[in-house]
Amino acid sequence: MNAPSIRDRLYEPPGPKTRRRIAVFTVIALLGLGFLLYLVVRQFERQGQLQPRYWDFFLKWSTWRYLGAGLLSTLKAALTAAVIAIGAGFLLMRGKLNKNPVVRWVSVALIEFTRGVPTLLLIYFFFLVVPRMGVSLGAFWRITLPCAISASGIIAEAFRAGVNAVPRGQTEAALSLGLSNLRTFYQVVFPQAIRFVIPSLISELVIVLKDTTFAYVVSYADLMQNAKVLITSHDSLVSVYLVVAVIYILINYGLNKLSDRMARGGARTAAER
Amino acid sequence: MTQRYPAGDVPVIELKNVNKHYGDLHVLKDISLSVRKGEVVVIIGPSGSGKSTLCRTINRLETIDSGQILIEGVPLPEEGRRLAELRSRIGMVFQSFNLFAHMSVLDNMILAPVSVLKKSRREAREEAMRLLERVGVADQAKKLPAQLSGGQQQRAAIARALAMRPRAMLFDEPTSALDPEMIGEVLNVITELAQEGMTMVIVTHEMNFARRVSDRVIFMDGGMIVEENTPEAFFSHPSSQRAVDFLQSIRTPEAL
Repeated sequence: MNAPSIRDRLYEPPGPKTRRRIAVFTVIALLGLGFLLYLVVRQFERQGQLQPRYWDFFLKWSTWRYLGAGLLSTLKAALTAAVIAIGAGFLLMRGKLNKNPVVRWVSVALIEFTRGVPTLLLIYFFFLVVPRMGVSLGAFWRITLPCAISASGIIAEAFRAGVNAVPRGQTEAALSLGLSNLRTFYQVVFPQAIRFVIPSLISELVIVLKDTTFAYVVSYADLMQNAKVLITSHDSLVSVYLVVAVIYILINYGLNKLSDRMARGGARTAAER
Repeated sequence: MTQRYPAGDVPVIELKNVNKHYGDLHVLKDISLSVRKGEVVVIIGPSGSGKSTLCRTINRLETIDSGQILIEGVPLPEEGRRLAELRSRIGMVFQSFNLFAHMSVLDNMILAPVSVLKKSRREAREEAMRLLERVGVADQAKKLPAQLSGGQQQRAAIARALAMRPRAMLFDEPTSALDPEMIGEVLNVITELAQEGMTMVIVTHEMNFARRVSDRVIFMDGGMIVEENTPEAFFSHPSSQRAVDFLQSIRTPEAL
């Protein structure tokens, strides 16, 4: 039922000796992990981090509503940034594959620039420099635009890799039937490229989501920012950060799972060729 | 489709002194060739002789450095709409089938007739089914290309080219990627087309087929046309030493 994993494809199935060794190491590893966990919990206990006052406000509905509002803002910013980044990335890819050398050169420069500049630097740019140029942006755009720009170059490269992965014969067949270059790209090449690209697009979305935690710089009330407020009001750094970390992990885990599923779907169609 | 240019005595395909280089390599040396309406020309020769390249220059999948290519008397444009328009009149069948992998066989068939010839979807679909019927893969119409055998894919690819009602067909080693048991079914389809009077240029390694189907054999070696002959003459007493050697080299293994 299960498709063979990469492990199955790379290694031969273990024999009886290896299976025994795997079992022994599994037990040792589990014991080790349990011990580490015990150390962490004991340390928290000693430092008084497990006292009810650090945790009982999580029983209140208002705490979760506040975190929920932050999460919603995070998702809104991440999604907006992702949509903009995908649009910009697509245009940059078209630019880089353009026949016109000027268009190509400008696109390559933009791609390299956006890939090379750290997101935080872009955020400072939109936060500190752009207002001085007389353009005033709200907190939402001050976090969304830099995140989008910083992802666009990587997405452009992902698109380009996908387009290049489509066999040349597909283009030749379309051209030989009299399809224009534009139709060949949009009806034959790109629909096939998109299947290769979706997994890396989703991985990039995870990075965008994590980048939005820089929102505190521009005082945008995202999950991270709201967590900080909770920390101050309840004086409870460890518990709040732990809970928020779990929330981020769950969302990104979900996204990565989705990407795996799509990658498997994509691999299947590619293998059927 | 209405006749857009007078056919008359104008060759369907004409190459005049065509030259092409890959860097220092002179892959097509002063090739001149003309294919009349209804004629079946087979190009054979050792690998690397330029026969595939020659075939691909005819609809400008390969550019040329000098010389001229005329389709029904009209010089092949270098780009744009007019090139696409001329390409649409020359069907091409590839070694690797090249059916569009993301659409069903039927969608493969109707894409170009709808978007290039501006046929209605219904009309295109009817025509497509008729052609698929003719090449014997109508029952596979709803499947993706990957679900078909190589022979079925290639027959569907031939049908896809025919859906454009081409004036001529180019076959670039149409059976070289097929398993042996599927070669026959594809060659039969091509033979039928020849009998119906389709103008064709075929690059192939199938010598018996070449002998049976062709009106004229062109033997290429080292980027040149070395010999141009009737199939009977070429296969029984070729006039050039290189053709003699070539035929010898491919016959020996069978004789052993």
